[in-house]
Amino acid sequence: MEFFQNILLGFQVVLDPTNLLLCFIGVVVGTMVGVLPGIGPVGAMALLLPATFRATPTSSIIMLAGIYYGAMYGGSTTSILINIPGEAASVVTCLDGYQMARQGRAGPALGMAAMGSFIAGTLSVIGLMWIARPLAKAALRFGPPEYFALMCTGLIILTYLAQGSILKALMMALVGIIIGNVGLDMITGLPRFTFGIDELTDGVGIIPVVMGLFGISEVLINIERTLKRDIFQTQIGHLWPSLKDWAVAKWSILRGTLIGFLLGILPGGGAILSSFVSYAVEKKVSKHPERFGKGVIEGVAAPESANNAAATGALIPLLSLGIPPNVVMAMLYTALMIHGIQPGPLLLKDNPDLFWGLVASMYLGNGLLLLLNLPLIGIWVRVLKVPYRILFPLIILFCLIGAYSVNNTTFDLFLMIFFGGVGYLMRKFDYEAAPLILAFVLGPLLEQSLRQSLLISKGSFTIFISRPISAVALGFGFLLLLSNIFPFIKKRRQEYEKIEE
Amino acid sequence: MKAYDQGSSLFWLLFSVFVFIESNRLGIGTLQNPETGFISFGASGLLGILSITLFLQSSFRKEGAKTKSPFQGTLWKRVFLVLIALLLYTKFMPVGGYLISTFLLMTFLFFIVERQKLRWVLVLSSLATLVTYYVFSKWLNCQFPPGLFGF
Repeated sequence: MEFFQNILLGFQVVLDPTNLLLCFIGVVVGTMVGVLPGIGPVGAMALLLPATFRATPTSSIIMLAGIYYGAMYGGSTTSILINIPGEAASVVTCLDGYQMARQGRAGPALGMAAMGSFIAGTLSVIGLMWIARPLAKAALRFGPPEYFALMCTGLIILTYLAQGSILKALMMALVGIIIGNVGLDMITGLPRFTFGIDELTDGVGIIPVVMGLFGISEVLINIERTLKRDIFQTQIGHLWPSLKDWAVAKWSILRGTLIGFLLGILPGGGAILSSFVSYAVEKKVSKHPERFGKGVIEGVAAPESANNAAATGALIPLLSLGIPPNVVMAMLYTALMIHGIQPGPLLLKDNPDLFWGLVASMYLGNGLLLLLNLPLIGIWVRVLKVPYRILFPLIILFCLIGAYSVNNTTFDLFLMIFFGGVGYLMRKFDYEAAPLILAFVLGPLLEQSLRQSLLISKGSFTIFISRPISAVALGFGFLLLLSNIFPFIKKRRQEYEKIEE
Repeated sequence: MKAYDQGSSLFWLLFSVFVFIESNRLGIGTLQNPETGFISFGASGLLGILSITLFLQSSFRKEGAKTKSPFQGTLWKRVFLVLIALLLYTKFMPVGGYLISTFLLMTFLFFIVERQKLRWVLVLSSLATLVTYYVFSKWLNCQFPPGLFGF
């Protein structure tokens, strides 16, 4: 009974005209920044944060959260149509979404991304309501060894993402960890690899790295080839996926939702990791894993469902434990603190209108996004049908503004251009950027949990296998690694047998 | 691809050696008390091993036909020019301000891929500069550098 009273309270809050308007603005701006490469949800939230100072805490958080899950919806559009992720969580959607578009199936890919996002968003909001407290309690029991084990498993999953050489993918993951190490040591406070550059003391920003490696390098690869490249020859067609598509993708959506929701709760997980993990899982459970990366609808449905579910799941540790699990949640955390609200276990008790208002706004927001997103795709496609000679300077300009707007410093522009050049060369020499990005995001958390674990255990690595959660996670990661190695050994053996014959 | 894999693996080997030395300088600590360079030490060590593995793997790989350069038949000079333009823009923007520097950059970028009518290029550059300025600076409060001219 109390549950329904809370839901009613939530809808009472969100149906207030101001909150309703801000929810609408949030999801529209979120979709826009998700669609446009160059400015992600973090940048948009940072830009709009000062605008919320005059609003109530509930209104502010409703709008800022709307930007986040709106961006999850919108991010898929550019990934599918131009192979440039609108934001980092849509990186993996490029793999199959873009290939589907190249095969003339952009419509079903876009439609499935939107529907998958809607289903996942709605289911995860239900999950947030029902299991927020017990799940938060469980996550509260996680210590540094558990986090380390989970991060390791996440990094091992990188090997699944490698389309080319696994060796090169692992190398890029290590490079990502090293880049993630730049900045102040979070335990000792000493600067590392900063070379006397003040801007590097805060570390290398994720936005310049992602925009450089994916946005700028993609543009550079395109302009070196041909003047008359028409990337939009494909017909968008009808957006509603066929029954066959639904039959194939239904379980992918549900698996993606579950993975996204659970990984979203974990610190460091969030939308990016969940989209990668759900893709890897789909590839693994598929009867035709070799088709992944060549345009299968599961490769779009699963990560898009996962990143939306993770966007909701990530709210659990923020609202119930007071721990922002990722950068976007850190922005929400900052917004709440500015408004004098302390996120944490007492939030539900002290500010039920904020918690339940946010939950209700997400119900409403997901519905709004579905209504808005599918008709808006046509508008964005029209924008993207502009010839490449006109489009590419605009993409570069949005990347420049996106990188600059986070910290308002030209140093981030230098970083983005640098990573653009590096990304261009990586593409030339067949090195993938995705493992680098994922390791870069996970690296600092991995380091923190490893060092803390070793401090707790006084240097003994048995801490990772003596605790059940970390043992299970590491065991799972180990099995994943083995499942990658066995086909390689089998292939080699077959080759040797052929030679012997 | 063999030569390129060998070359790139050597680059990453050098990179790992540099990080390895720098990590040592920062201090690795002990397992009981890991210090600042602990993770980068381990990561660079592993990267070095994998780089050597890649070098050896590519060296022993047999390739039938002669592979062409990844830059062969491409307009790489255009890429180089765009990168230079972006670097100049970044350097010039704090001095020239957003409006002037962005207009110049856009004019160059619209012009470089395909020679278009100058009038058309100027209109597009002006539109791109002004629209983004008003959306991001006026509407979204992004603080672009005003430059010496104050705009």
